[in-house]
Amino acid sequence: MINVGIISYAHPHALRYGTTFASNPKAKLYAISGDGANADVAKTEAQKMKAKFYQNYEALLKEKKVDAVYIAIETYRHKEVAIRAAEEGKHILLEKPIALTLEDADEIIKAAKKAGVKLMVPFNPRFTTPLRKAKAMIEAGEIGELEYIYSISEYVKPPIFLEGLDMSWFLDIKKAGGGGFMDTAPHGVDSLLWLTNSEPKSVYADIGSKIYGFPVDDIGTAVLRFKNGVMAVLNAGWGNPKGYAYGLEIKYYILGKEGFLDIRTAYPDFTVYQDRAEKIYWERADVNGIVGSFLESIIEDKEPPITGEIAKKNLEIILAAYESSKTGKVIKL
Amino acid sequence: MGRLKVGIIGCGNIFHLAHKNALKNLKEVKVVACMDIKKKKAKEAAKEFNAKPYTNLDEFLDLDLDVVEILTPTYTHAELAIKALKSGKHVIIEKPIALTSEEAQKMIKTAEKEGLWLLVGHTRRFDKRWVQIKEVIKKRNILPVQIRKAEVQRLPFPETAWYWKPNKGGGVAIDLGVHVTDFLRWYFESEPVKILGIGKAIRKEAKVNGTYDHFLMMIQFEGGKTGLAEVSWAYSYPARYGVFYHHLDILGKNGRIRYTPLDTPVVGVVKSHFEMPRFSPLLSAFPEAFETELKHFFKVIIGEEEPLITAKDALIALQMTEVAIESAKREEPLEFKGVVE
Repeated sequence: MINVGIISYAHPHALRYGTTFASNPKAKLYAISGDGANADVAKTEAQKMKAKFYQNYEALLKEKKVDAVYIAIETYRHKEVAIRAAEEGKHILLEKPIALTLEDADEIIKAAKKAGVKLMVPFNPRFTTPLRKAKAMIEAGEIGELEYIYSISEYVKPPIFLEGLDMSWFLDIKKAGGGGFMDTAPHGVDSLLWLTNSEPKSVYADIGSKIYGFPVDDIGTAVLRFKNGVMAVLNAGWGNPKGYAYGLEIKYYILGKEGFLDIRTAYPDFTVYQDRAEKIYWERADVNGIVGSFLESIIEDKEPPITGEIAKKNLEIILAAYESSKTGKVIKL
Repeated sequence: MGRLKVGIIGCGNIFHLAHKNALKNLKEVKVVACMDIKKKKAKEAAKEFNAKPYTNLDEFLDLDLDVVEILTPTYTHAELAIKALKSGKHVIIEKPIALTSEEAQKMIKTAEKEGLWLLVGHTRRFDKRWVQIKEVIKKRNILPVQIRKAEVQRLPFPETAWYWKPNKGGGVAIDLGVHVTDFLRWYFESEPVKILGIGKAIRKEAKVNGTYDHFLMMIQFEGGKTGLAEVSWAYSYPARYGVFYHHLDILGKNGRIRYTPLDTPVVGVVKSHFEMPRFSPLLSAFPEAFETELKHFFKVIIGEEEPLITAKDALIALQMTEVAIESAKREEPLEFKGVVE
């Protein structure tokens, strides 16, 4: 049994991770700390799930019984918290993006290595059933050589619409590193890396505050050329209106030399029509899959499926996209 | 004024697919002559209209015609259009306006000099789907900032067909590319400033001809708007989607509009033997778009309407694809400098 601590509910994903860890037979949700935004939510959740509550993560990390932590604190504090967790010998599941800079990512990776703890960063789509099926079909050669991927990776509404949670830090570049693109594109980038089994050699992007007038970007488009010849386009961001049916929209059109895969959504849904249409996801295999493989990597002492290095590569691509958008140039990686 | 006398040059694919039926439905005009370098094709076409067949261009242009419709492969457009204009005929021509923008500019100059119309068949502007979506954008004040338009298919022609030849049709980047570049300009109502193109040769037909069959353009427009144009002849889509596929995804400050191949009304046909459902007449918007377009063009010619798309628009659409192709070669985005007068 792995005792898990959750550090901070600043990132709204903590809500789902909390219940998922709590319901996993191999884990016990042992403690929660209320650092950063939404400390009140953290406290309520701790009571609800009968976990110990700490005002700050230092106290949680001192708790000997905690084996592993899920860190959902504001991105700019990832380095500080992850390094301390490693020093205390806790295995780490660290929210994405791994950090604000590649240097910070390196320090986190180094600290985890030095301490001999597992470090995993969750990117969801590759844990969904449709994408796993697509990957298997590609690898079985069902659509021939992979040529082109168009992907949408959007949280449909900007975080101000998430009720009951303080998400203002998502609109603060110093804390989040970017806006809608930084928030959502890493998922798309991860699935591209995973589906192509390759890395981009260049990226060209246009990212901006185009819809809501936020101080950070809301949507972005990136064109990527991969080393193995695959071409890809990624649309990411928070651009959708309130009435949009999807809350989370992850789509792929995958073109091979001999066939085509249409992944209408990575999250299987049905639609409810009332005053407006709403998609309800009837399967969310992703968070179970992430939590399960993180726990498994600890129990079986093996490498987690998404390592710090993969997360750093992901960040490198995201930062290159921002650089491209700023300079108007194709950025070589 | 009597009915306009129309002559057709090029009685091949697009004639049979679209123009033939549209012209038959238009009472304002009379097709009096059909020319094709292949006698059989000219005869077949002429029979449809009780018109006279021709295989010789000079004889054809000596006729008393008001309008010449040019429906030939792209590389022949410039020469034919210039000759037709110089012989005093208004010209309606299929898209792309020409194979190169240099040629297109010569055509435009000739039309201006002769005081005749040169009208280019950018049929998307007359397709009721796109016309209505454009109206919804206006009425609901959607204010688009990002538009993705994809037009993809599996081109059913062999590698010997002119479509695949860079020096005859320009490949998919030009042949379908101009549809989408024009579409994006039309929808955004602003001008392109920067273009990134990237292309691939996926099918054997493209590889042996040294052309792209899958091409992507990321086009940045004035006002921070981004257009994504995807054109492809290399798709394998299941038949239930139809045979030619449009994707449209508009993200605006005040909403999103999306059209996918599943929104295209298709009547599925399953036969006991395999048959490529080439250009399905069941795609309802397609024939009507041509009819609307031609009707409008003839009204422009008789002075009753102002053109909804000018030859200059068609030129810009072509220039955008040229810049994109150059960008793809150089692997860097290029500024769009606009029409050279």
